[in-house]
Amino acid sequence: MAREPKKKTQSKLIALSSTNKVYEFKTPLEKRINYKGEKVDIKLREDPNGFSYIVWKNKKYMLDVIEKNQNKYTVMINGVWHSFSVETPVSLKRRRFLEQQGDTSSSVAIEAPMPGKIIDILVEEGADVKEGEPIIILEAMKMQNEILCHVSGIVKSVEVKKGDSVMKDDVMIDIQRA
Amino acid sequence: MKIKSILIANRGEIAIRIIRTAREMGIKSYVIKTNKEPNAWYLEEADEIIDFSETINDTLPDFLDMEKIISNAKKRKVDSIHPGYGFLAENPDFARRCEEEGIIFIGPSHDAIYRMGNKTIAKELAKAHDVPLLGGSAGSVRDPEEAIEIARKVGFPIILKAAAGGGGRGMRVVEKEKDMERMFTLATNEAAKAFNNPDVFIEKFVREPRHIEFQILADKHGNVVHLGERECSVQRKHQKLLEESPSPALDKALRKKMGDAAIRIAKSVNYYSAGTVEFLLDDKNHFSFMEMNTRIQVEHPVTEMVTGIDLIEQMILIAQGEKLAFAQKDIKLNGWAIEWRINAEDVQSGFSPSLGTIEKISWPQDDHIRVDTGVRDGSVITPYYDSMIAKLIVHGEDREKALQRSSLAIRKFWIKGTKTTLAFCRAVLQNKNFRKGTFNTSFLSKELKLHYHHEPDEAMLAAFFATYDYAREFDENEEKSLHVKKGKEISPWVLNKRLS
Repeated sequence: MAREPKKKTQSKLIALSSTNKVYEFKTPLEKRINYKGEKVDIKLREDPNGFSYIVWKNKKYMLDVIEKNQNKYTVMINGVWHSFSVETPVSLKRRRFLEQQGDTSSSVAIEAPMPGKIIDILVEEGADVKEGEPIIILEAMKMQNEILCHVSGIVKSVEVKKGDSVMKDDVMIDIQRA
Repeated sequence: MKIKSILIANRGEIAIRIIRTAREMGIKSYVIKTNKEPNAWYLEEADEIIDFSETINDTLPDFLDMEKIISNAKKRKVDSIHPGYGFLAENPDFARRCEEEGIIFIGPSHDAIYRMGNKTIAKELAKAHDVPLLGGSAGSVRDPEEAIEIARKVGFPIILKAAAGGGGRGMRVVEKEKDMERMFTLATNEAAKAFNNPDVFIEKFVREPRHIEFQILADKHGNVVHLGERECSVQRKHQKLLEESPSPALDKALRKKMGDAAIRIAKSVNYYSAGTVEFLLDDKNHFSFMEMNTRIQVEHPVTEMVTGIDLIEQMILIAQGEKLAFAQKDIKLNGWAIEWRINAEDVQSGFSPSLGTIEKISWPQDDHIRVDTGVRDGSVITPYYDSMIAKLIVHGEDREKALQRSSLAIRKFWIKGTKTTLAFCRAVLQNKNFRKGTFNTSFLSKELKLHYHHEPDEAMLAAFFATYDYAREFDENEEKSLHVKKGKEISPWVLNKRLS
């Protein structure tokens, strides 16, 4: 026999955005939701050409899922993407706790903002770097882009070398925060 | 001689654009198939395909391999070659080699390409023909030390530009003396890579100018007209994001003054074919000559929309030796046209390239809308070429009408599968100063605070969808219905068939 979930912990799901905004939805989910004091229907539709969209207050919102990995979502609405992790109240609490623990670490990774090729590395291990200082030249889509350091500190390790190809979000340099 | 066949030494939307006119004129089109995109749409649109995909040449990209292109044209007895834009379009050697081999190059003479392509010569010509210029180096600059010396004379800020360049590559603004060495290296490296020529020159940097360019048409009999201007001030790092014609900054008198200057530039090299003369316009309406682009431009459709003249057709007729069928007084600018470049870029992450597959693409169709694109459902965006997916061109009786129609069209322009600059277009359309027409090249960095636009409800709807999809999948896996009520599903709709 399936056990009934504890009402208090399972009665809602939370979408936590990458900018730390919290969107709570009561479960079981229904098509009519409470939003800013009114009850509004959300309709999910697909047009004959295979485009998905949401109808909300008589307006169409074009919908696309860019990434989906377990509880991590990147959803595009009208061409703008929003990233979320979907959490239960328990998992959210746990996540918040872990984040606090993690804050004591002072190492910051400089990641590739786009796929490309490393043209030049402007710093060496052990070098002092200041926020806003260019540290790497990355070539992507025929442009040479200066990658600026977004923290001040000391270069802990350089993970790439000249001529390397990197993917988006690859770690290029680790900085020990000053 | 009447042209009967054209080899298009290009790809994507411009190849399809040229094929369309060729077809209307009864001219057979040839395109080149490469191993970089063997299933591209432009291949299907052409009458004949020349297959380069068998041989992989790592040192020289297919569209830059002039001898291979020319020998294939000869083998198939193709009359003419249209280079499109980019690649070999402004390579004087290519135009010369075509001429030597008896193939009609649909573009200007190699001599005009060479002289306008060499910024030092172009500036001397402008000076000799009373066209206003900005101060700067007399020619290319040897090293950072010399650059500093010249910059001190001209006054900071200055801009370093690739002598053989264009399109924003090899360009760097230098604000202070101490930045010179680093910027000089960046500019020369980029120039060497992009144009096979590391030479850079110095120019006085005008803060917050407008970028205005004039479309020129000239035949081989000395007739030159201009087809009005294009406003190209909305740029990011010197890459144009949208263009309009006419410009909100010009009145009739200024248009005539700048148009006449553009014609003088064209005449100084006995120019023929379509060409574009670029100017900077400062806030006091002083203009200075920047360069002449000796090719068809990406943004040519806005000119076609307001003049009713097919520029590709004109290029072909001129290449055949025909005289222009109209004079300057016959050119009328009718209404307003805006081109929105839709690029596969993530505007929320600094316009970084967004690769992937266009799963679906659709746009509203009516008489005021033109879409030039090289992609369709299933097309792959490769890292080998630029990020442009489509150009949305909207016409209106006046600017306001063109803007209104643009808002609607952008709302209904749907692309599934990749991030695009559509959200950027929405942000531009929301901006008061853009709507008023009071903007310049600093628009993106200073005026437009947020480079994308979304309404507050949209984030919530995205959150709802993520939650809904997660809940539905959770229930499916667990064979429970904890999250989504059984039988009361919001829709029977399963979006994520394609996702793992």
